[in-house]
Amino acid sequence: MVDITVKIGGEAGFGIMTTGLLLGKIATRSGYHAFEYSEYPSLIRGGHNVIEVRISDSEIYSQKSKVDILLCLNLETFNLHASEVKDGGVIVYDEEKIAQDKIKKTAGNISFVHVPFNRILQEQKLPTVMLNNIALGVLMHLLGADLEILNNLIEENFARKSREIIDKNQTAAKVGFEVSQKSLPQGSSVKLTPLKDALPKMYISGNEMIGLASIAAGCRFYVAYPMTPTSAVLHYLAAKSGNSGMVVKHAEDEISVINMALGSAFAGVRSMVGTSGGGFALMVESVSLAGITETPIVIVMGQRPGPATGMPTWTEQGDLLFILHSGHGEFPKILLAPGDMEEVYKLTLEAFNLADKYQTPVFIIVDKYIQEGHQSVDKSKISEFKYPVDRGKLLSQEDLLKISAYKRYLDSPDGISPRAIPGMENSLHQANSYEHLEDGHTTEDAGERSKQVEKRNRKAATYLKQDFQMPRIYGDDNAPLTLISWGSMKAPVLQAMKESASHKFNLLHFNRLWPLDREKLKLLLSGLKKTLLVENNSQGQLGQLLTMATGVEFDEKLLKFTGRPIYPEEIIAKVNSIT
Amino acid sequence: MDNLKQALPKAQKNPPPAPVVSSSSGSLPSASKLHAAFSGYFPTWCPGCGNFGIWTAIKSAFSKMKLNPDKMAVVFGIGCSGNMNDFLWANSFHALHGRAIPNAVGIKIANHSLPVIVIVGDGDCYGEGGNHFLHAARGNHDITVIVHDNRVYGLTTGQVAPTAYKGFKSRSTPNGIIEVPVNPIALAVSQGATFVGQGFSGDMAHLTQLLESAVKHRGFSVVNVFQPCVTFNHVNSYSWYRERVYKLAPENHNPEDINRAWEKSLEVEEKIPLGIIYQVERPVYTDSLPQLAEKPLVFSEPVTDLEMLINEFV
Repeated sequence: MVDITVKIGGEAGFGIMTTGLLLGKIATRSGYHAFEYSEYPSLIRGGHNVIEVRISDSEIYSQKSKVDILLCLNLETFNLHASEVKDGGVIVYDEEKIAQDKIKKTAGNISFVHVPFNRILQEQKLPTVMLNNIALGVLMHLLGADLEILNNLIEENFARKSREIIDKNQTAAKVGFEVSQKSLPQGSSVKLTPLKDALPKMYISGNEMIGLASIAAGCRFYVAYPMTPTSAVLHYLAAKSGNSGMVVKHAEDEISVINMALGSAFAGVRSMVGTSGGGFALMVESVSLAGITETPIVIVMGQRPGPATGMPTWTEQGDLLFILHSGHGEFPKILLAPGDMEEVYKLTLEAFNLADKYQTPVFIIVDKYIQEGHQSVDKSKISEFKYPVDRGKLLSQEDLLKISAYKRYLDSPDGISPRAIPGMENSLHQANSYEHLEDGHTTEDAGERSKQVEKRNRKAATYLKQDFQMPRIYGDDNAPLTLISWGSMKAPVLQAMKESASHKFNLLHFNRLWPLDREKLKLLLSGLKKTLLVENNSQGQLGQLLTMATGVEFDEKLLKFTGRPIYPEEIIAKVNSIT
Repeated sequence: MDNLKQALPKAQKNPPPAPVVSSSSGSLPSASKLHAAFSGYFPTWCPGCGNFGIWTAIKSAFSKMKLNPDKMAVVFGIGCSGNMNDFLWANSFHALHGRAIPNAVGIKIANHSLPVIVIVGDGDCYGEGGNHFLHAARGNHDITVIVHDNRVYGLTTGQVAPTAYKGFKSRSTPNGIIEVPVNPIALAVSQGATFVGQGFSGDMAHLTQLLESAVKHRGFSVVNVFQPCVTFNHVNSYSWYRERVYKLAPENHNPEDINRAWEKSLEVEEKIPLGIIYQVERPVYTDSLPQLAEKPLVFSEPVTDLEMLINEFV
């Protein structure tokens, strides 16, 4: 069985992230599963960056604590992470850069591989940016992988560059390979032999998956203001606009972002915005505007630790209740929180249908952990997924011509009114931020007000009848302990379940967080034997939400709010301490 | 307090039936019929409010241009000006205070075949939404922004506006405002607006013509319209303006000359110019979007080659 973690650390600006990305891609192209986790400070150059890639021949869900190969591009990496290397592991370092006396070789059976990165650069007359290819060459030898896969990736990545640049990159990889071969001929204990019969895999980040799904959903307008951890959605969609035909706009601020999107949605275009907590705080007034004007919009809310600027490049699930309560006044909104790459794809697609169907804001709640980390996913799960576009009660020109006096906010049993697009004949209507009559004009009449409030609220009841799905149970139905979690924390819990290989606990995972079917959930939750809430925040926000909705309280809590994700080992330890 | 309440929005009980546009007949209705078509409920503005003149001029300009209420979009801000949403019949989006411009930019990007008009007030456009105003000008988005400039907040019952003269006493500045006023004309010219005009609600014929030019202009057009608030601003009255305004004409002004536009933008108190202060041609925002070359975004076909995008991750 292969289950190996490679950790690469060094200064920001050394191309460490690219090294990790390519390593993951080499693994998935060889048929393996891969999971990436990175840590970096909010700086462009300097500072300490690490990226770890976990590679396995069976399904993996998250990162782990122990490292098999540590590649140190600076002394800090050694000092901070050498203790994480497990017995039998390998530490790669530059003896000429990191003085011998500063290396306190850890106890245990660890192999040290000396690679003079800087000297290789000088001797081969290579620029510093090619350091990562030397590192990859080293890793190819240590993992017993085929250098040809790396050479092909270099060819693809630099397809638009000159032959000379491709050659230099490939030379760097070759020298790295040979140097480590000399230093540790047998390599590491793991061999990444290409797996036969493995299904083709994508290696993709959550942000890219959101972007890809929005293209597949027919989103035609994406507006954003850069903010970690969601900026990469903007980058991806902007880069692909030539293929997708999507208009991608970097607006002046988040207030403008959401209002541009609401304008385009009013004009009939599927529209999405993306941000993080601080940017979302600026959007909140217009979430309410979407609620009363009944304008469909998809909002990607990528969480990071707050309050305020907080820790911009780290992870947290701290904004669930903020999102739930965002926007003044009462109106329905739909909250989705995908737990893995497949869910990111499918729920993003669904978000657009739900927004059109219910004509109200729909949230895709993610976090740095799932947004920036790359994960492998079987290609067929994405490419073979059939998605019927449902634009809800959007009127066609033919429909409109049959209506004698069109009413934008017509009362209806399901709470949803037919929507017209300006520009069509007989489409005359007003989308009004004031309370309004059925025809859209402003009113303060008590009866008309109540009618519209009840109409909007009724959408939530319709959603519960037609679209709500209960949280999914993973593992043994009869386990004595149920872990309750949401969104991205599905990953470490499933990994913990796999590694503990016991039937001690199962997982109840929520990826639809609002509206909730109170009665069904009350029945489910009150029937659980023992519960452990697992959340990447300090206040157990899902727990609060479920208690609010059902009255059920939870027995135990595992809450982590250090800016780091929860590790499977921490979950196993917690489970062991309470069972 | 009672006299202040007249400025608050009133509920329309038993509203008159909406005029119906017979657009399904295929041919455009006549201009006079359209003028009626643009007329909504009768305004709730104070008797004598400068908004009446702007309202009439807007309807006249739209009618003269044969605009079709179905095939355009008007975005209203919040304030006495924004309350025109119920008095002017056209496809419309009644925005939040300060946010009408980004809504309008979004509508224009979604469907650049629609004329898009923004109706806002001075506090709305230059205060709460000031940032959006600057950036929409930079982008030369092809929308027309009609700003009701009465130098005071009417709907919230008489606080100072960003266009008020230094020292103006109001309910929020009983000792007089400390700041100097915003200069809307200089601001718009400096930030890249390609049509900058100034009108006066007391001269509807001139204003109608100015608004028509602004809507016809391809690019970001802004018209700052002086509009006396008879309830809360007893300084800048109809007669106050009549003593100061004068009209720009080809004989005394070349709107393509930015240096002349700067000079005119500084005439803010003793004599005040009306007309087109600045107008130049520059490609509009949507011209630079190849995605919109064939048809408006709302009618464009979504991507077909998803497989290719998926394979980039394999």
